[in-house]
Amino acid sequence: MKTWTQDTPAFALMRNMALPVLLGLLWQLWAMTLPEGSPAPAPLKVFESLGDLLVGGGLLSATAQSLGRVLLGFAAASVLGIALGLLMGSFAAMRENLDPIIESFRPIAPMAILPIAILWLGTGTPTALAIVAYASFFPVLVNTVHGVSRVDRKLLLAARTMGMSRLTILTRVVLPGALPSILLGSRLAMGVAWTAIIAAELAVGSKSGGGSSGGIGQMMFVFYAYNIDLNAIVVCMAVVGVVALLIDRLFRSAERHLIPWRP
Amino acid sequence: MTLPARSPVPGGPVASDPAQVRRRSWMLNRKLWVSLRAFGVFFLVWWLLHLWNGNPLQLPSPLKVFEALWGLLRDGEIASHASVSTLRMLVALALSITVAVPLGFLMGLSRRAEDLIDPLVEILRPISGIAWLPLALFIFGVGDTLPVFIMFYVGFFPILLNTIAGVRQTDPRLLAAARTMGVGRTALLVHVLVPSALPTVMVGIRLAFAASWAAIVAAELIGSPSGLGFAIEWYRQLLMTPKVFAFILAIGVVGYLCDLGLRALQHRMTPWAEGTGASS
Repeated sequence: MKTWTQDTPAFALMRNMALPVLLGLLWQLWAMTLPEGSPAPAPLKVFESLGDLLVGGGLLSATAQSLGRVLLGFAAASVLGIALGLLMGSFAAMRENLDPIIESFRPIAPMAILPIAILWLGTGTPTALAIVAYASFFPVLVNTVHGVSRVDRKLLLAARTMGMSRLTILTRVVLPGALPSILLGSRLAMGVAWTAIIAAELAVGSKSGGGSSGGIGQMMFVFYAYNIDLNAIVVCMAVVGVVALLIDRLFRSAERHLIPWRP
Repeated sequence: MTLPARSPVPGGPVASDPAQVRRRSWMLNRKLWVSLRAFGVFFLVWWLLHLWNGNPLQLPSPLKVFEALWGLLRDGEIASHASVSTLRMLVALALSITVAVPLGFLMGLSRRAEDLIDPLVEILRPISGIAWLPLALFIFGVGDTLPVFIMFYVGFFPILLNTIAGVRQTDPRLLAAARTMGVGRTALLVHVLVPSALPTVMVGIRLAFAASWAAIVAAELIGSPSGLGFAIEWYRQLLMTPKVFAFILAIGVVGYLCDLGLRALQHRMTPWAEGTGASS
């Protein structure tokens, strides 16, 4: 009897939701003890705020704007990163000469570049794009180089023995061989890119007095600095989390579909 | 317990044969030379770009940046900001380790605990530390607590997940053998589970460091009156671009040095993990 109850999906769902629901209830109870007009967020108010923001608050358009920037910056970084990674992976001389530079820039966080980006590009979309591209470039590049170096040497030799041209080897042997690693790099890159865009929009909002850049990070800053609406901030945080989760799932399923030969 | 003999690795720490020593020093020299050459080209390109750009507020010449760096090093400004940031980072890392490692052991060992806690972890994990900034600013205000909180949050998940994975990876034969020999629960934990999980935990700590070092800049840039991240933004507002570059350099160097330190620590604490892939 015991095993039967534990195996049902309903039980699993209840078990999974137990702690989050309990904490949510405690949070709500705590918020109800606060005096009227306190800015502290409460679960019920957060849901209310979510409704408001979805209907007329521009939550969707802000999210779309941030996502658009991430995709654009990520696309630029992947094209550059994969191309350079293939070159560095295939030619030892390239790798040897570029490695010191790449390794020196890698520990510098994207946010550290932000002040420079603001100096060069202002506080608008170009800065956000530059930060996203910088953030996602390194995971793509490093994983591409790694993937190319992991391509089976015997396959390369066999291809050369059979008289394949360099280009054919690149597209038919090296690229498929490095694909798992490249996709992993892309997934990591998208993750950092999404974090970086929030940070960039938030910081640009906080340093430029708000208003000029848009996006969900900016929206959060406005709720913090001008409207003081913590419920709306929690809504934005939840949206940030959900989008991050969706991006991750999307890339994982892409990995499964594009490289079926890998478990 | 005897370790299996390791085959000599080129460039590895053991080199008794003089020919091998010579070979190693030659490789080292060559690496140094290649790096110097690469940086020479890099600085040349930078200098040319600076001439082409013509605006020292946007792109100062490398010489000006080194001058600024030297000045900041001499009057101790870099040292004071870097020590503030590093201290915050260490406090945050220590906090994440003390919370995440025991929790990870609990979740790795008990199915029930994992079933209960994991959903909460999965709800929180996708929310990046940066996204907590506005709320944390409201709760903690501008000061030391905010960056420490953000870094604690960012470092927590890699350590937790790696601890769980490390505990799970423990060879079931070792566990069975220990149980057969009548080893108690505490001894099992201390002598089997901890040594087996430690390499993975150390990797988690290094990942946590990398993530929190990236987050500290954002946290200090927005919500702190001191630290490396603050200094960068401060000098940008004053339009002292060479100093901005100098502090960016400092962030990279301190981050690199901390990672080297963690690597050395990892090497010393888990020498048995070398070559298993967990140490890279």
